[in-house]
Amino acid sequence: MAKMWITMGPQHPMTHGLWTLRVQVDGETVVDAEAELGYIHRGVEKIAEARDFTQVTPYCDRLCYVSAMTWSNSYIYAAEDLLEVEVPERAEYIRCISAECQRIASHLMWLGAYGPDVGNLTIMTWALREREMFLDLLQELGGSRMHYNYPRIGGVKRDIPPGWADRLIAKVKLFEKRIDEYEMLLDESTIFLVRLQGVGYATAENMVESGVSGPNVRASGVNYDVRWSHPYSVYDQLDWEPAVEKPTSVKGSDCYDRYRVRMEEMRMSCRMILDAIEKIPGGKNTTYSNGDEMIIAKAPTRAPAGATGFSNYECTRGASQFYVHGGGEGRGKNPYRLSIRSPMFITIPFVAETMIGYKVADIPAIMGSFDPCIGETDR
Amino acid sequence: MGMSISAEQNAAAVAAAVTASEEAWSALGVVAEAVNHSAGHGFAFLRLTVPAPHVLTVAKGLKHDMGVNYCSMVTGTHFPEGDEHRGWEVAYHLQRMPVINPDPNTSHVLVAGDLSGMSMPIEIEMLVPLPQGDDPRVPSVQSVWRGADWNEKETWDLVGIKFDGHENMFRVLNPHDSPEGFHPLQKQHKIRYHDFNEMYDDAQGFVRKPVDEGRVK
Repeated sequence: MAKMWITMGPQHPMTHGLWTLRVQVDGETVVDAEAELGYIHRGVEKIAEARDFTQVTPYCDRLCYVSAMTWSNSYIYAAEDLLEVEVPERAEYIRCISAECQRIASHLMWLGAYGPDVGNLTIMTWALREREMFLDLLQELGGSRMHYNYPRIGGVKRDIPPGWADRLIAKVKLFEKRIDEYEMLLDESTIFLVRLQGVGYATAENMVESGVSGPNVRASGVNYDVRWSHPYSVYDQLDWEPAVEKPTSVKGSDCYDRYRVRMEEMRMSCRMILDAIEKIPGGKNTTYSNGDEMIIAKAPTRAPAGATGFSNYECTRGASQFYVHGGGEGRGKNPYRLSIRSPMFITIPFVAETMIGYKVADIPAIMGSFDPCIGETDR
Repeated sequence: MGMSISAEQNAAAVAAAVTASEEAWSALGVVAEAVNHSAGHGFAFLRLTVPAPHVLTVAKGLKHDMGVNYCSMVTGTHFPEGDEHRGWEVAYHLQRMPVINPDPNTSHVLVAGDLSGMSMPIEIEMLVPLPQGDDPRVPSVQSVWRGADWNEKETWDLVGIKFDGHENMFRVLNPHDSPEGFHPLQKQHKIRYHDFNEMYDDAQGFVRKPVDEGRVK
């Protein structure tokens, strides 16, 4: 049969955003695939050069609406590295808890989007229901439902509100039971297993070589995690270990392993949150006023030319990194250059390669299992 | 608790990497130093300043002798007002990740206490200054780390640094029909913002409002 190219996207349910996957097929089999990105490139890196360091945070929120808190945190760590700020420990704990809430919310969004991809509509309604619990908690901190603008250079915008800790603990404990329910729904669904098992193999070494990171690598049986290898925040004081899966094949992890590792990560995030909220300095039932030295430290607003800041942060989809040069406009008030490393920008071309050899019907299952997010990809 | 890599382990690994890099490449004019992050836990990383002609030699050495297997980020920066030898700079952020494929039905769990020497994860920053001019060029490391492929595409697309030997270079974020030589992160392209006098190159037809005339922040 003659080979032909099929264009999937930019409007296609498989893409989870706005991009194009071009696949060459021989009958039903994919023989070549390439990704075309850049449909929603907004030029955040250029915009940041005309904003001062604090004003960049909301743009970083909007890099990925599914995990805004982790992205703004990631930027904040780079800015703090540049401006040499010492952050109060209570603020670090609050950041850690809020980032883990966001990680759960992001994985739930992934689960809710992935279920319909592979023929399970029920999980979408279940996952989005629980996601709302965590968005409510984050809304109480940041004030809005998705884009929080919560972390500040030197700390956080405001302290946890009264009663928040109790609500958090209750919701997390409820959610831990709900994860078991998801597994009862999914792990016993033949359709779900048939679509996921045995497709989309990728080995750990191959992924690292290609620049993939995060849960996708941990699904291949390696516990590499930035929170573990280069601990930032308070991750070195908490009781947790990176979630890691045991792939069944020498060919590495399949879609099912990547689903499993995200479920385990949500469990681990719950464990971390429950541990951190008890250890928080100043007590979980205390609320310090805005600007208190317990939650925010004084930070300089200007950075000299030649200074650089770098952050390596475990975002929900892999390692997100920021690299900032000081000494921009306004006598160093703005970043001279802000560079963003998005995990999905590297992963999506890798997934396109991974699809070669599988059937066209497997494309949504493989693509979805890597958790694509186009906002952060195109920046 | 206690499972994360400690600052002492990290410092020792970076110090060993500095020694190894100095032994291997100091004759080539490569400067190696250990630098500490000022935020977080103050972890150290290895900073290499490499002359452009030796990028590929150093990259291969890092990959094959020091086990640096992960190229996470390539950043190009334009310094039109910098000195003659540093009109541009390419920064490679690399990592050593002690990753091996586990056998089926097992996982390869790294324990911080058991790691030492070459299996310790470290961060590496490789800076390559390029002279002033319209034609910044650096050898491509695409053949060394596959992860550098799309990072280099992006750096060429946005900053205009040419990667010699890069196969299959094309625009990834800008439209495919962008004018040749248009790279938006170069500093001659200004962004319009509130009271600044500097304007866009006026690609979208922005003009300065009369009421703002003469106002400088």
